[in-house]
Amino acid sequence: MSENKIVSAADAPGSTAPATTNELVTAVIAREIRDGDLAFVGVGTNGRAFTLAVGIPLTAVRLAQMLHAPSAAVYWGNLLEPDLSSVPADLKQDSFTRWQAAASPSDTGVKCDMLARRAFDVCFDSAAQVDRFGNLNITAIGDYRKPKVRLVGCLAQPEHFAFVPRPIVVVDLDRRVFVEKVDFITSVGHLHGGRSREEAGLQPGGPHLVVTDKAILDFEPESKLMRIRSLHPGVTLEEVLDRLSFRPVVPDSIPTTPLPTERELDLIRRVIDPNRVLLRV
Amino acid sequence: MKEKLVSLEDALAPVTSGSTIAIGGSLLRRQPNAAIRSLIRRGVTDLTVQTWAATTATDMLAAAGALRRYEGIYTGMFSYGLAPNFRRAVESGAIEVRDFSETAMVARFRAATQGLAFLPIKTLLGSDIADKNPEQIRPFSCPFTGEKLQAVAAATSDFTIVHGYVGDKYGNVQWPIVRDSDDIDQMIASAGKRVIVTVEKIIPHEEIKKRPTLTYIPGNWVEAIVEVPYGAHPVSVDAMYDEDDAHLTDYLERSRSAAGAAAYLDEYARAIPSHSAYIAKVGGLSALNRLDVQPNELNHV
Repeated sequence: MSENKIVSAADAPGSTAPATTNELVTAVIAREIRDGDLAFVGVGTNGRAFTLAVGIPLTAVRLAQMLHAPSAAVYWGNLLEPDLSSVPADLKQDSFTRWQAAASPSDTGVKCDMLARRAFDVCFDSAAQVDRFGNLNITAIGDYRKPKVRLVGCLAQPEHFAFVPRPIVVVDLDRRVFVEKVDFITSVGHLHGGRSREEAGLQPGGPHLVVTDKAILDFEPESKLMRIRSLHPGVTLEEVLDRLSFRPVVPDSIPTTPLPTERELDLIRRVIDPNRVLLRV
Repeated sequence: MKEKLVSLEDALAPVTSGSTIAIGGSLLRRQPNAAIRSLIRRGVTDLTVQTWAATTATDMLAAAGALRRYEGIYTGMFSYGLAPNFRRAVESGAIEVRDFSETAMVARFRAATQGLAFLPIKTLLGSDIADKNPEQIRPFSCPFTGEKLQAVAAATSDFTIVHGYVGDKYGNVQWPIVRDSDDIDQMIASAGKRVIVTVEKIIPHEEIKKRPTLTYIPGNWVEAIVEVPYGAHPVSVDAMYDEDDAHLTDYLERSRSAAGAAAYLDEYARAIPSHSAYIAKVGGLSALNRLDVQPNELNHV
């Protein structure tokens, strides 16, 4: 997707082309990963959805491992600590079956138990709808009983938002996605803002960061309203506001999202994803 | 030990319209598709299904108009997108849907396994998943700490249908050492009242006995076992064969319309008298062998 490039130059592995948006946000996420973190990465689908749910998160954790968080680890599918130096080259079943890992518990209930007892530090989630308090919808658009669009359901996303301290939402900025109120709360973010999440009985947490193709957003600590944290190079505030169907908190001064360093770019292009499997689209 | 090896038709004969069925498999792995095609062929309908990450089995039942109610964590087509027939039926209001997150569904199967009416979770506080389902997800206070919890109703079913790797004539089913464990088939089977297992291959009991720790579904739990090679086709059995990309693509293409999906089921389920006729229909074993994956030296399958 040409839209995915900050500068529409070729970015063949090893080239000195400017960072693509995918590379930019991958570096941002990598800096959020702390040494010792256990990160939950979903299984994703295909195309752009795969890049958002799997490609960017795996590349970011691997980058963090190589730079400042050597003991950061991933739980992917039911693989605990899969070897991120050899990510499968395709999405066929046997490639997943052969992906070497430290552990593959006998069933996924083990992963559910780990989620519920807060064994994870970070998780990555995307959604069809995200609202101003960071609640997510991956279940149904319209009326639940007779929806306009039936989506996939929920998987373990409600667990991520209930139990993981620092969830990172990875989605493209789009008015249809960023809505005032989600049609269905699949996963409880900051619920209705303020202390409503805790009052519902959930532990502190909720989405920590919203990483998009135009800007990075977070949440204002008191109101829990979504707030613009930084704008990607060349992106204006108006462009971002146009792509949100609610008014976020807009600080007086908004920094530009920092570019990846040469080292980060080189590792992403030459070492982590040389065949552009993870950051393809 | 009681011999439980029967034909697919005999194994599924007790499953009647209106039953509640727990279905094994996860994403594009081990969906019990041969068994589902057999139910569709017989015209079994008005079913309630309980699933983990469902794809083809649930979508074909939706295409056949055989689903009354769905309870599960996911229905889609994994890397192929949304599940077209399930989606169409839900959007028309034809299927009663109740979503459950993974810890909720695990708690439901574990409750059934333990003979309990419910188990507690605290995942769905504030979620519309709970709000839309007060019949099966109810708030209560922890009797020890007073914290807010939710009781999720046990996943009790009439029948459980799981597709496994290999088994013996007594119904003992084993998994390979190296496999994709992203499922809860063992838990689903342990929760079952009447468990029907299809397997890729029946092997001698003597082979099973050499490695009892690999028996994930003991014959003791099983009512009937059936040998159906490529029984998950067009999806995969991890460690044995990959998904059939061409067939899945054709299925999805034809499922763009209800009429197209009906014609697909006529061709691959209703007009086919048996699983061996299905194998012939999709090109025979020689064609299916091309989906086989390189055996892993650590595996016995």
